[in-house]
Amino acid sequence: MSDTPTIMPAAPNVLRTAMLPLTMALIGCAVLVALPWYASFATQRLLVEGFTVFAIAMAWNLLAGYGGLVVVGHQMFVGVGAYALFASSNWLGLNPWLCLPVAALVSALFSLISSVPMFRLSGAHFAVGTWVLAEMLHILTLNTSWLGAGAGMPLEALGDFDRWTRNAGVYWAALAVGLGALAIATTVLHGPLGLALMSVRDNEAAALASGVSVRRAKLSLWLISGTMTGLAGAVSYMNTLQVTPDATFSLNWTAIAIFTAVLGGIGTLEGPLVGTVLYFLLREVFADYGAWYLIGLGMLAIATMVVAPGGAWSLIARRWPIDLLGVRRSMPPL
Amino acid sequence: MLIALETLIGGLMLGALYALFGLGLSLSLGVMRMINIAHGDLIVLGAYLCSVVMQMFGIGPFLSLMLVVPLMFVIGMLLQSLLLNRVVGQGTLSPLLLTFGLSIVLQNFLQETFSADTRSLQAGDIALRGFDLGGVSIGLLPLLSTVVSVIIFAGTSWLINGSHLGRQARAVADDPATARLVGVDDRNFYALITGFILAVIAMAAVLYGIRTPFAPTSGPERLLYSFEAVVLGGLGNIWGTFIGGVVIGVAQLFGAKISSGLGPFFGHLVFLVALLARPEGLFRRIQR
Repeated sequence: MSDTPTIMPAAPNVLRTAMLPLTMALIGCAVLVALPWYASFATQRLLVEGFTVFAIAMAWNLLAGYGGLVVVGHQMFVGVGAYALFASSNWLGLNPWLCLPVAALVSALFSLISSVPMFRLSGAHFAVGTWVLAEMLHILTLNTSWLGAGAGMPLEALGDFDRWTRNAGVYWAALAVGLGALAIATTVLHGPLGLALMSVRDNEAAALASGVSVRRAKLSLWLISGTMTGLAGAVSYMNTLQVTPDATFSLNWTAIAIFTAVLGGIGTLEGPLVGTVLYFLLREVFADYGAWYLIGLGMLAIATMVVAPGGAWSLIARRWPIDLLGVRRSMPPL
Repeated sequence: MLIALETLIGGLMLGALYALFGLGLSLSLGVMRMINIAHGDLIVLGAYLCSVVMQMFGIGPFLSLMLVVPLMFVIGMLLQSLLLNRVVGQGTLSPLLLTFGLSIVLQNFLQETFSADTRSLQAGDIALRGFDLGGVSIGLLPLLSTVVSVIIFAGTSWLINGSHLGRQARAVADDPATARLVGVDDRNFYALITGFILAVIAMAAVLYGIRTPFAPTSGPERLLYSFEAVVLGGLGNIWGTFIGGVVIGVAQLFGAKISSGLGPFFGHLVFLVALLARPEGLFRRIQR
C-alpha cells in the first residue's frame, strides 16, 4: 500500500500512454464500420468470411488452448447456429437480423445439453466423441424433411432487402461477431475464469487442490465457445444464403479453425488473429491449385506442429517481447 | 423373426470388419497413447494400393496383398519414425493435430491421384456367392471377412499376451522411460508397431474394398467406426475392441432396417448411450 503515492505523479503519463492505443482502436473501428460506403461487395463478403472464421477459430482456440478441450466436431456449433437462424426466420417470416439472438440462444442451449454426454469423455476420446456427435447431427438433418433434408434451406426473408442493405447488414453483423469474439475472449481471460482455466491447463491436480472448480470452468468455456461459434456460423451462412447438411456440418469448419489456430499459435489470444490473416493470404494466393493447395495447407500445419508448436505468434513474441492484449500474468513483485 | 435373425447375423459379420478397422487404432491408443486421426484415410489408401497392384499385375484382390501388406508395413514404419515419433508422448493435442493434418494431406493426395470417383475391388463371383442356412441367407464374403478378422484378432492377442514382443509392448505402454532403461528402444518399437498396424489395415482394406465402393473422402467415416469399436470395448482390451465393433455393426444394420438412411446414426447413438452408461467402455482394462 505504501507505494500508492509514488504512482500518483506518473498518472498523467499513464493516461497519455493509454490514450494512444484507445484512440487508434476507435479510429480503426470507425474505418471498419464505414466500410460498406467505400468498399466493393466482394471486399465486404471476403471480410464477412474473415470475421466469422476468426470468431470460430478463436472459440476453438479458447477450448483447446485454454480449456484443454480439443474439439474435432466443432462444425456442430456452426451447423446448429446456422440452422437455428434459417429455420426461425423462415418459419416465423421474421427479419433474419432479429433472429440472430435466437440462433445464439439455441446454440447456447445446444452447448448446455451436449455437455452432458461429452463431458463424460476426456482427452482423445472427448476429441473424437464430439466428432461423433457432429456426424449424428449431420445424418439427422440429412433425413429431416422439415429442415429441407439433403437440399437444405434458403434464407427467404433476405430477398426482401435490396443488395446494398443486405451486404452491408451482413457485413456489420460479421464485424460485431468478430470484434465481440475478441472482446469476450479478452474479458474472459482477464477475469477469474481465465485464471482458473490457465491454472487447470498448467496443472489440473494443483488447480483442484487450490479450490478451482475444474468442471464449472470447463462448462462455462464450453457454453461461451459454443454460442460464439453458433452465432458466427449463422452470420457466415447469411453470406451464402443457403444451408445444406453436407456443407454446414462439414469437417472443413473444424479444419479451418484448427489450421488458423495452429498456424497463428494455440493458447494465445493473438494466435487466431495472426492465423486468420495468414489463412486468407494463403487462400487468396494459392486456392486456384485446388487439391494441391489443401495438401500444402495440411503439410504446413504438420510442419508448424513439429518445428514451431507455438505457431507464428510464438516466433513473433520470441523476437519482440510484446503482449498485445495483456493476458499474460506475471508473479506480483515480492 | 427370420429377418431379424438375418439382420443380426449380417450385423455380426459387418461388425467383425469394423473390429478389424479398430484393431490398429486400439494398438496405437493402447501402446503409444496417441490417436491417429488419419487412421481411416490409411484404410482407404490401402484399398487404393490394392486396386493399383491389381491393375498392374492383372491379379485378384487377395493376391495383391502379397505386395500391399509389406508395402503398408514399410509406409507405417517410415511414418512413425520420420513424423509421429516427434509428437508421441506429448499429450493429446500434438499427435491429434499432426494426424489431422496428415488426414487432410492424404485425402487430397488420393483425390489428386485417383480423382473423386468411387471405385471398388473386383473379386469375381466370391463377392456374390452365398448359401442358405435354415432359411437365413449368408454371403460368402462377409463370412470370409469374419473368419479373417477373428484369426487376426487371435494372432494379435497372442502377440500381445504371449510373446516377447508383446511383453515389450506392454512395458512401453506402461512406462516408456523404464522400458528404455531395461533395453527397449521405444522409438524403434513404435515404428515396428505402426508398421504392424498398417499391415493389419491393408488386410482390412481389401475386405472393405470388395464389400463397399470407396472414394478418397471415405476415410473419416472409417475412423469413426474404428474409434467407436475401440472406445466401446475399453482401452487396452483387444477382444473388447472386437465386441465393440460387433455392437456397432449390429446397431447399424438394425438402424438401417428402421430407416434406410439412418444406419450409421443408430451406430453412433448406441455408442453414445453405451458410453453414458459406462464411460470406461463395456469391458474394463484387465488389471494385472
